[in-house]
Amino acid sequence: MLSGLPAGLFSGPRSGLGSDVMTWAPMVLVFLVLVGWYLSYSASRLDRLHHRVESSRAALDAQLARRAAAALEAAPVLDPATGLLLTEAAAESLAAAEDSPPSVAVLEEVENDLTRALNAAFSDPDDVLALRADPVTSEVLDLLGQACLRVQLARRFHNDAVAQAERVHDKRIVRVARLAGHAERPQMIEMDVTSPPGLVRGASS
Amino acid sequence: MRIGIVCPYSFDVPGGVQFHVRDLAEHLLAAGHSVSVLAPADEDTPVPPYVVAAGRAVPVKFNGSVARLRFGPVSAGRVRRWLAEGDFDVLHIHEPLTPSVSVLALWAATGPIVGTFHSSIPRSRVMIAAQPMLRPSMEKISARIAVSEDARRTVVDHFGGDAVVVPNGVYVDSFAGASPRATWQGTTERPTVAFVGRMDEPRKGLPVLAAAVPDVLEAFPGARFLVLGRGDGDDALGDLDATSRAAIELLGPLDDDDKAALLRSVDVYVAPQIGGESFGIVLVEAMSAGAPVLASDLGAFRRVLDGGQLGALFPVGDPAGLASALVGLLRDPERRAGYVTRATAGVRRYDWSVVAEEVFAVYETVRLGADRVGEDPAVGGLLSRWLG
Repeated sequence: MLSGLPAGLFSGPRSGLGSDVMTWAPMVLVFLVLVGWYLSYSASRLDRLHHRVESSRAALDAQLARRAAAALEAAPVLDPATGLLLTEAAAESLAAAEDSPPSVAVLEEVENDLTRALNAAFSDPDDVLALRADPVTSEVLDLLGQACLRVQLARRFHNDAVAQAERVHDKRIVRVARLAGHAERPQMIEMDVTSPPGLVRGASS
Repeated sequence: MRIGIVCPYSFDVPGGVQFHVRDLAEHLLAAGHSVSVLAPADEDTPVPPYVVAAGRAVPVKFNGSVARLRFGPVSAGRVRRWLAEGDFDVLHIHEPLTPSVSVLALWAATGPIVGTFHSSIPRSRVMIAAQPMLRPSMEKISARIAVSEDARRTVVDHFGGDAVVVPNGVYVDSFAGASPRATWQGTTERPTVAFVGRMDEPRKGLPVLAAAVPDVLEAFPGARFLVLGRGDGDDALGDLDATSRAAIELLGPLDDDDKAALLRSVDVYVAPQIGGESFGIVLVEAMSAGAPVLASDLGAFRRVLDGGQLGALFPVGDPAGLASALVGLLRDPERRAGYVTRATAGVRRYDWSVVAEEVFAVYETVRLGADRVGEDPAVGGLLSRWLG
């Protein structure tokens, strides 16, 4: 029995330590289990978001490579000056992709250049319509248009994943318990990936 | 590609989301993909072969109107089984925040998940209170699609991040190719005006149109107003004078072919909705059918009409404004023809051939770098412990 120990250490003068232990020990235990559960839950949530950031970045890199390849294919259908400009921008993008993954700053620069080159080459829907008279060219332009759309999607999905991951990163419990470990803070990718106006299907809006 | 689509609303009753899911599924099937749709439906309701019924839906008040939804532990079990049997490459959940099979599927699955948000919900206390509960599920969606700019703003306001806008689709040619019906076609003296939407749902705006009828009849005594939709029209029409009441013909609910024929026949289609619209699919259908559109100036409608280029706008909920705009349109065949010409070109953007390709581009993008759709181990473990 614990009744021999000094009473009143924890609460009221009349209650014994024994009944106190019986009351608070289970409560502390429940509290600890809850904290433990919440920590592991937050860790797996963060883990899942990091996985999403990584896979959406891989998807973006793959779509950018596809766009650059499609741009290279399309360059010969243009006049030599524009074609050369587009070839250079596409080649730069493919070269940058060889460091896997390229740093965000490099990526943003080369892809902005490629977008600008594409927009210059395919700005006028009427010119594009004239090019489409040739069925092979039309197919090449379809593939390029599809690739441009997919780059836009992949960038949005990646930045959305980053935004969600950042929010969880910034939660107090994640910072205090260092749940993120050494994982780098994810970074948004800000680049212009608008589709060339001439290649947008069913245009109007 | 193996695609699983989840629709939260019952296939027992027609509705915008259900039609969207049906058309998307059929378009993907026709393109050679394997598609399974999970939706609430009564066991004995005839459903298309690609639909897996998740059981009888119960009517629940949600987001301002009554929806037929399905939830509970039995549904959770069925959702899990459907996921396991489907072995999907991509899971596409519609309205992932609607407390029905959508929420259950999102909870139980991992992998490449696409979520489509159809509604625009103003920032509400309920949504703010439910956020901590919904956020972890939301984080599992690898690609968010919103059907309109308004729906996108709703998602981004509530949960941050971003979403891509892919509009609702319409089979433009099935409306453009419908044959007009003589009984619904107007003449110079007796022009016809169509309304499409639930009669007993005030947000659809039938009362606004009804209040405008007397003014229109002053200019066009022979004008006819053809009202298509479910519900009790007499309540919505209120206490109209006998002449005005006689000018309104309640057609009741019609099937898709009749709707196309109606829109193909009338002189003007009026959309007097007063709110709660995130896209405005009927406007796109009317434009496809070649009907000049007169719509209330809601954000969603203004965007579909390209700021008033593809159709005329009037102030929201204003019967006098509606009447004068309608009379102006009926008097000016050239302006109507202008709207129709521009709308016929503009509406191609909403054809399923374009829309489904965009949805499929989303599927392809989320599949890159991700695994297949699987069961969320944490949730699966918990669920099986709770449900045996």
